[in-house]
Amino acid sequence: MTGIALRPSREPLSDSGRRQLARRRARLSSAAWFLSPFVVLVALWAVLVPALDVSPRTFPSLASVWAVFTSGVTDGSLWTQVFASLARVGAGTGLAIAIGVPFGILMGISRGVSGFFSPLLRFSVALAGIAWIPLATLWLGYGTGAVVFIVFNAVFFAVVYTTMLGVRQISTSLLRAARSLGAGPGRMFVEIYLPGAAPSIVTGLRMGMGFAWRGLIAAEIIATSSGLGYTLFLARQYYETDVIILMMITIGVLWLLMDRFLLAPLERRTVERWGARRQVGT
Amino acid sequence: MSLLSVENLNQVYTDAYTHEEMTAVGNVSFDIPEGQFISLIGPSGCGKTTVLNIVAGFIRASGGSVMLAGKPISGPGPDRGVVFQDFALFPWKSVEANIAFGLKMRGVDKAERKRRAREVIELVGLSGFEAKYPHELSGGMRQRVGVARVLATEPTMMLMDEPFASIDAQTRRVLQQEVLRIWEQERPTVLFVTHDVDEAIFMSDRVIVLSSRPSAVQADIEIPIPRPRTWSDVYADPAFVRIRRELMAMLGVDDDEKGS
Repeated sequence: MTGIALRPSREPLSDSGRRQLARRRARLSSAAWFLSPFVVLVALWAVLVPALDVSPRTFPSLASVWAVFTSGVTDGSLWTQVFASLARVGAGTGLAIAIGVPFGILMGISRGVSGFFSPLLRFSVALAGIAWIPLATLWLGYGTGAVVFIVFNAVFFAVVYTTMLGVRQISTSLLRAARSLGAGPGRMFVEIYLPGAAPSIVTGLRMGMGFAWRGLIAAEIIATSSGLGYTLFLARQYYETDVIILMMITIGVLWLLMDRFLLAPLERRTVERWGARRQVGT
Repeated sequence: MSLLSVENLNQVYTDAYTHEEMTAVGNVSFDIPEGQFISLIGPSGCGKTTVLNIVAGFIRASGGSVMLAGKPISGPGPDRGVVFQDFALFPWKSVEANIAFGLKMRGVDKAERKRRAREVIELVGLSGFEAKYPHELSGGMRQRVGVARVLATEPTMMLMDEPFASIDAQTRRVLQQEVLRIWEQERPTVLFVTHDVDEAIFMSDRVIVLSSRPSAVQADIEIPIPRPRTWSDVYADPAFVRIRRELMAMLGVDDDEKGS
C-alpha cells in the first residue's frame, strides 16, 4: 500500500483558500501517482496480448475482460457476487468488533486477564486465516457461516490485540482524572477506555480487514457457492481467463476502495481528532 | 476544625529494578482548615506528589491516616478535585464536555450541565472556546480547562499537582494570579504541590516544607501577605522577601541560582 497516496499531508487548518487549493492539488497529484503504474500495466496489456497473439486460455485480451465486466454489470451478476462477498465481510467484521473490542479492553485493564490469554492470542495469530477453514466447514458446514467465521477470526485477533495496546497507552493521569471525577467501572469503559483506545482500535480494524479480505477469498473458493472467490475459482474449470482476471481486478479494486475511502479516512480522522494525545501523553 | 488531617503518613514501596524497599514518605503530619490555601514544597524526590496522590486516593499509604472531614479516605472521589501537571484533559472531548464530565458522572441532566459548564467557562476566561478540543489550545488554556473541570463539580477540596510546571514562565504568572482571583471568589480548600518557592509563597496562606527522604515536615510557615495579591505587590512586600530567603536556605538553594 503506498503511504503517500493514503495519507495526504496534514496541515493545521487555515482560512486561506490558497492553502486549500494547494492541498487539493497535492491530493490530485498523489492520486495520479497512485494510478500511474496501473495505467502503464493496462496499456502494456492492451498492446502486448494482441501483438504476441496470446491464447485466451493463457491470458485474456483487455476487450474480452471488458466485455465480461459490462455484461456482468448489466445483468447484475457481478453485483450479486460483490454483495455476497461484502455482506460476509460486513457480518464477520461487525461480530469481531462487537466481541473483540470489549475483550481487548478487558485485556488492557487487567494484567491477570491479559497474562492468561496472551499466549493463546499469540498462538492464534500464527494460525489466523485459512488454516481455520477445515474446522470452520466442519463446524458450520459449507456456506456463509464458515466464511463469516474466517473473516471474524482475522479481524477479531487484530482488534483484540490493538485494543489492548490502545488501553495500555492511555496515560495514568487521564485514568486518575476520570476516577477522581466520579467515573465508575461502567462509565470508565464507555467514556475513557473505548474512546481512549479508539485510534488504536481503528488501526487494528484496518489491519484485520486486510487479513480478512484475503481470507475471505480463500474461504469462498473452498466453502461456498457464491461470492467473488467462488466465481474466480469456478472460472478455472471452463478456462475462462477473462472471468478470472476480472474477479482478481474486482477483488483488488474493492479492497483499495474500502481501504482508501472508508478505513484510511476513519483512521486519519480518529487520530487527528485525538491529536493532543501524542503530545500530552508522552 | 480542620477539613483535612494527615497524621504520621508513611509510604514505602519496592523499587522495581533493585527490589529494595524505598521510603518515599517518612512521617508526615499536617492539618488544613477549611478554606485555606496550602502549598507543599520540598527538594525533588521528597515525596510531595506522593502525599498528594495519597490524599487524592490514587495510591494507598503504607501507614498513618488521612481524614477528610473526619472520614478516612478510601480511593479517589469527586469530593477531591485534582488538577494535574500534564492537564489530563480528555482529548476526544470538547472543552465544554471536559468541564461537564464530573457533572455527567454525577447524573446531572444535560441542560443543567451546560448551564454550569458555561458559568465556569466564563469564570476561567475560556468563553468562545467551548467547542474547541484540547489539542487546539495552548498549554495555559488547557490548564484553565483543567481548573474549570474541577471547579464545575464544587469539590470539598482542590488538589493541585505542580499545575503550572509545564507552562511557560510568562503565562504561568498570569495563571497564578487568575487562579488566586478564582480562589478568592469560591474559597475552596486547596492543597497545592510545587517546587517553585515564589509560587508557593504567592499563592498560599501557609507553606509546608518537607525535608528530603525519608521526608517529614521540616517547617510550616504562615504567609502574612494581604489578599488580593498581585505579583507586582508581592515582589515588593518585605514579608515575601524574608520568607523567600528563609525557604531558599531551608531547601539549600542559593538565592540567585533559582529564579522563577
